[in-house]
Amino acid sequence: MLGADVGGTFTDIVLFRDGRLSVAKVPTDPAAPASPVIEGARRLGVGGVPVFNHASTMGLNAVLTRQLPKIAFLTTDGHRDMLATGRVWRPLDGQTDPRWRRTYGDADRPLVPRYLRRGIRERLLADGSVLIPVDVEQATAQLEVLRRCNVEGVAICLLNAYVNDDHERQLRELAHDVLGDVPISISSEASALAKEFTRASTTVIDVFMKLIYSDYAAALHQELGELGFDGELNFADCAATLLPWREALKRPFRIVFAGPAAGTVSCGRFGDAIADRNLICVDVGGTSTDVSLVVDGQPFVNNTFELEHDLVINALAAEISSVGAGGGSIVSISPSGDVEVGPASAGATPGPACYGRGGEQPTVSDACLLMGILDPSGFAGGEITLDADLARRAFERLDTRLSLEQRVAFAYRIAVSNIAEEITNVAIRHGVDPRDFSLVAYGAAGPMLLPAALGLLNVRRVIVPPHPGLFSAIGLLSTDLVFTESKSAYRVLGPDVAGELSQIFADLEARLRGEIHGADGVTIRRTFDGRLLGQSWETPFIEVPDGAIDAAAIEELVRRFHDEYARRFGNRFEMVPVEGVTYRVQLVVAVDKVDHPRLDAGAGDAEPVGRTELCYFADEPLDCAEYRREQLPVGSQISGPAIVREDLATTVVGPGQLATVGTFGELVIEAAR
Amino acid sequence: MHQFPRPAEEHLYAQRTPVDGTCGECGKAELATYRVLSEGGWWDVCKCQNCLASLSRERAPMFAGYTPLGLTVKG
Repeated sequence: MLGADVGGTFTDIVLFRDGRLSVAKVPTDPAAPASPVIEGARRLGVGGVPVFNHASTMGLNAVLTRQLPKIAFLTTDGHRDMLATGRVWRPLDGQTDPRWRRTYGDADRPLVPRYLRRGIRERLLADGSVLIPVDVEQATAQLEVLRRCNVEGVAICLLNAYVNDDHERQLRELAHDVLGDVPISISSEASALAKEFTRASTTVIDVFMKLIYSDYAAALHQELGELGFDGELNFADCAATLLPWREALKRPFRIVFAGPAAGTVSCGRFGDAIADRNLICVDVGGTSTDVSLVVDGQPFVNNTFELEHDLVINALAAEISSVGAGGGSIVSISPSGDVEVGPASAGATPGPACYGRGGEQPTVSDACLLMGILDPSGFAGGEITLDADLARRAFERLDTRLSLEQRVAFAYRIAVSNIAEEITNVAIRHGVDPRDFSLVAYGAAGPMLLPAALGLLNVRRVIVPPHPGLFSAIGLLSTDLVFTESKSAYRVLGPDVAGELSQIFADLEARLRGEIHGADGVTIRRTFDGRLLGQSWETPFIEVPDGAIDAAAIEELVRRFHDEYARRFGNRFEMVPVEGVTYRVQLVVAVDKVDHPRLDAGAGDAEPVGRTELCYFADEPLDCAEYRREQLPVGSQISGPAIVREDLATTVVGPGQLATVGTFGELVIEAAR
Repeated sequence: MHQFPRPAEEHLYAQRTPVDGTCGECGKAELATYRVLSEGGWWDVCKCQNCLASLSRERAPMFAGYTPLGLTVKG
């Protein structure tokens, strides 16, 4: 099995063959995004590999940076501005700031500029009946304008089209007549769910992803074939479940946010292996830190996620919170003289100052280099040589009276504190106590920052899994193929709606089985998203029992809703009726997954390969032992302060901490007793 | 004191002044300049009257055509 995780800075490729894991890390090339994947695959060899699972942040980065194709948005006349208005939610720090503007509004960076958003004269009522038929003449005139503007794709989202798709289909045919063979997405196919803004934004993202990924995926498939790959190419979606690439491209909005979820899946699977089912998963990358929870072995999966504040997409997605603190986060001085870390990042270009690629601002990686944590010659598996002089000069350029030692020490501590704060926020939001959880530290920068948060968070222990720098990519080899269909219908759950719900689930399952060839031997999973009557948001993924839905099954659904509500939010409101909103059927095809190899029981103690000085960590430089991770025997222990190096990551065991090597090679770091 | 006489026209429109040139988006020679009230306040815009793409967008005075009394006082 081969997995590729295309990140903003590096493309990680992992190959799992005959129980052995091989890895390649290639710098990402935004100009030719398929090249690093092909290069990594060539290095590892793809001949005879049955499965290639792929996740990329390319589409996400295109949306965030607005490097987007020119598309049009058609909607019911009078509603074209819903795409710029969103849900009218303001973030907390924008509540009292009159200058705050939503990032995708017309005053900032709209996804589709206003002149390309066109109203079409038509109207469907909430029950799907036609109030005003499509005005073909007016619609054609609007499409003629779009043709002259050379749009590359069209998103169509009409009011109430999730109940009746006739007008959207009619408009799509008309658009093809006028515009020719351009990609067109209609909301009733992309995401036939209630709430028109989310349906609209999802449809718009769908068209963007069609334009971004179609040629890329086809080129990838062809070039892999030329390398001798004749297996299945799968794309991961936002919940890190897999889809065959052609299936993924039918509704590609589902793959816009694939990478981070794979890390959570990887944690869940590794947690099963080490019998630790309550985990705080923390992925510290170059730009940001992604925090997620695994409770009782299960990650939280939501029915929507936000690309930016209030820019909601109707995709099933692992619940992940991000904070702008990573290895590339820029260290700066605030107007009041404080040291600040992030959220701005040096990214891949120019990168931290110590990369020597023109970056002049100091970053967390520069601080770690000056502290002696990073090895200048062995960074990223030797792909990059780090220059400590450049890092020092970058810190000296900061406009502050603090000494160099203070600048570096504070930068490191503040980066750790920022991450710890986000972890605490996630724990509070879910009503969980970090003392009951283990923290999994991964991402290339995770093991060098997170053990320092052990004392701040009071988690049980910090676990550094094997290959932490590639842990998300490994997650791509730990997941199933999943096909999903869903439908919205607002119904208060009671015996009277049992027949209707039964029919909805039967129709969805029939549609899935009709679309997918060889659908025998698969698992069917039925869920619904519900809410307490009067709420405006849903609690997703309530499991639905097998078989026909009758009055007893409805009672069971209500009970399960309250159980899940309590698991997520810590409260039960059994006196309030439950309203079903969206009903979902998933067809799960189990595939082979990575089993982390269990290492042979070791003999003897961990032997250091040298000694080094850890500067700015405490008042005085700390003399500490330096270890190579692959040489550590299972069961051996390391007392901090110590540094454990491996090709793609460095682990810092702080003073007063004890690291134990587990049976899979994981490092378990706890406070020494 | 400002005078606001009752308008004689049935509907009021922004006065659009045609300008030379062609739209970079749709290619039509139907450009016009006028003032619009949009997010962020008043703007003087030059827009294509065919596809409504904005060719230029410059901030207009905060109160557009109205000048507060305080700003009329000299010295």
